[in-house]
Amino acid sequence: MEPLSSFFAVSVILLGIGIYGLTTKRNAIRILFSVELIYNAANLNIIAFARLRNPPIVTGQVLVLFTIALAAMEAAVGLSIIILVSRLNADIDLSKLSKLKG
Amino acid sequence: MFLAFAAVTIGAAILAIEARDLVYGASALGIAFLGVAGLFFVLDAAYVGWFQIAVYIGAVVVLILFTVMLVGPKKGETPLGLKRVSLLAAMLVSLLLGMTGALANATAFPGPDSCGSGCDLSLFSTSLLKNYGVPLEFMSLVMAAAVIGALALSKTDRGQ
Amino acid sequence: MLTSPLFLEIVLFPGLLSIAIIGALLGWLERKVTARVQLRIGPLYASPAGGILQMFADLIKLSFKELFVPENSDAFFFIMAPTTGLVLGAALVGLIPFAPGLQIANIEVGLPAFLAIITLSPTLILLAGWSANSKFPFIGGLRALFQQTAYEIPLWLSALGVIMMAGTMNLAQIVNAQTSGWFILPQALGAFIFLVTSVAEMERLPFDLPEAESEIMMGWQAEYPGVLFLAAQGPGFVKLYAFSALFSVMFLGGFLGPSFLPPLFWMLLKTLIVIVLIMLLRSTFPRVRLDQLLRAGWTTLLTLAIFNIGITYFLVVGFPTL
Repeated sequence: MEPLSSFFAVSVILLGIGIYGLTTKRNAIRILFSVELIYNAANLNIIAFARLRNPPIVTGQVLVLFTIALAAMEAAVGLSIIILVSRLNADIDLSKLSKLKG
Repeated sequence: MFLAFAAVTIGAAILAIEARDLVYGASALGIAFLGVAGLFFVLDAAYVGWFQIAVYIGAVVVLILFTVMLVGPKKGETPLGLKRVSLLAAMLVSLLLGMTGALANATAFPGPDSCGSGCDLSLFSTSLLKNYGVPLEFMSLVMAAAVIGALALSKTDRGQ
Repeated sequence: MLTSPLFLEIVLFPGLLSIAIIGALLGWLERKVTARVQLRIGPLYASPAGGILQMFADLIKLSFKELFVPENSDAFFFIMAPTTGLVLGAALVGLIPFAPGLQIANIEVGLPAFLAIITLSPTLILLAGWSANSKFPFIGGLRALFQQTAYEIPLWLSALGVIMMAGTMNLAQIVNAQTSGWFILPQALGAFIFLVTSVAEMERLPFDLPEAESEIMMGWQAEYPGVLFLAAQGPGFVKLYAFSALFSVMFLGGFLGPSFLPPLFWMLLKTLIVIVLIMLLRSTFPRVRLDQLLRAGWTTLLTLAIFNIGITYFLVVGFPTL
C-alpha cells in the first residue's frame, strides 16, 4: 500500500487548486467549486490521518461524515443565494455585486 | 489503484476550475469527487466513500448543474484580464505546495498496515451513535436550519 | 484466467451477457403483460414461441438506423450520458447475491452502495436532457431531477428498517438473517414505501413523468437516434431487473426456499414475481401530476418512512417494560 504521505500530497494539491480557484475566479459558482474542492482536501486529509495508528482512529471517519453533510448544506444554501442573486442582478460575477457598498 | 485515483482526482479538479463551460466544470467536479471517494476506498473507509458518492455526486453536483442551467452557463464568464493576479496566485500556491511537500517528506509517515478488525463497520457505527450521538443531533438541527434557510431564500413572491 | 469463476460470473451470469438477454426479455414480457391487461395479444410473429424474440428483432432494426448527433447539441454529454447509465445499471446487478457465493461484489456495505449508485442517475439524465439542446428533453431532465432527488430520501429511509432488522448492510447477510422469517411481514410498511419509491426512481408508470410520451414525447430520450435510443432505454430495464432482485433480497428472503430446487431458482422466481407486479402497476394506474408526485414524496412517503423506522425500533429492541 502507498505510504500515507502520498495521500497527504494529493490532499495538499487539491487544497492548492481550491485556493487558486478561490483567488482568481470571479464567478460565484466557480468559487463554490473551489470551496467544495477545499472541503474534499480536508476530508481526505482527515481520513488519511485516521489511518496513522493501527487500529485506525474511528473518530476520523465520523468527523468526515459530519463534514460531508455540512458541505452538502453549505452547497444548498450557497446555491439558493446564487439563484437569488442572479434573479436580482442578472449576473453572478462577484466583483460586480456592489449594491451594498457604502 | 492509488495512482489512478489520484491522477483522476487532480486532473478533474484542475478541469473543474479551468473549464470554459460551467456544465463541463460541474461534471469534472463530480469526477473529482468520485476520485476522492476512490481514495477513501483505498484507505478502507468504504462506508464514507459511498456516502461521499451519494451526497456529493447525487446531491451537490446535481444541484450545481441545476443552478448552472437555471442561471445560464454563459453568464458571469467575464475574464477580468487578471493574468497577473492568476500568475501570482499560481506561484503562491505552488510555493505553498512545495513547502508542505518538503515538510511531509521530512516527517517519515509510516504506510498504513492492513487494518483487519479495526476497520469494522460496527466499530464505526457504535462510535457514531454512542460517542458522537449529541453532535449527530446537533448536525440534524443545523441541517433543518439550512433547509429552511434555503427554502426561505429561494421563495418567490408569487402574489405580487 | 478465462475460466476462473469470477471472470465467468462477470461475463456470463449474473454479469453482462445475462443482463443483456434478461433486459431484452423483460422488454418482451412488459409488452406481453400490458397487452394481456388491455385484452390485446402483443408481440406475436418474431418467433414461434409468442414473439419472444421481438426485442432482439427491434435491437437489430435499431442498430441499422442512422446514428447522428443533433445539430447544436453537446455531442460529448449526448453520447456519454446514456452509455454511462448502462454501465451503472450493470454495476447494480453486480451487487446482488443470486445464490450463496454467486455474487460478483460481496462487499460489507452492499445496500448503501446500491442506493449510492442509484443516486447518480438524475445527474446523468439531467445532462442527457440538457445536451440535446431541445425543449422536451430539457423539461424531461428537470422532471427527472425533481422526482428522483425527492424520492431518494424515502428510499434510503425505508431501506434503513431492513438494516435495523438484519443488523448488517451486507446483502448476502441480509438474506441469511431471514431464515426464520421474511422481512416482508415485520417490514410491510417499509416494503410498500420501497416499492413505490423504487418505481419512481425507475421512472416507470405511474411515475414516468420524465419520459411521459403523451405530454413531452419521451422527455429526455426524445432526440436519441438508433443505437443511442437503445442505450437510453436499456438502463430502464436493467434497473427494473436490479431493483426487483434487490426487493426480493431485502424483503422476500432472496435465495432462501425449500431445498428441493436450487437457491438460484427461488431467487429468479421471486425476482420475476416482483417484476410482473411492477409491470401490472404500469397498466393499472394513470400517470400522476408533478405537483401530486412531489407533495406525496416530501410529505406522505417521508413521514411514513420515519414512522416505519419508529416501528422497527420497537420490533428490534422490544417495548420497554414500564
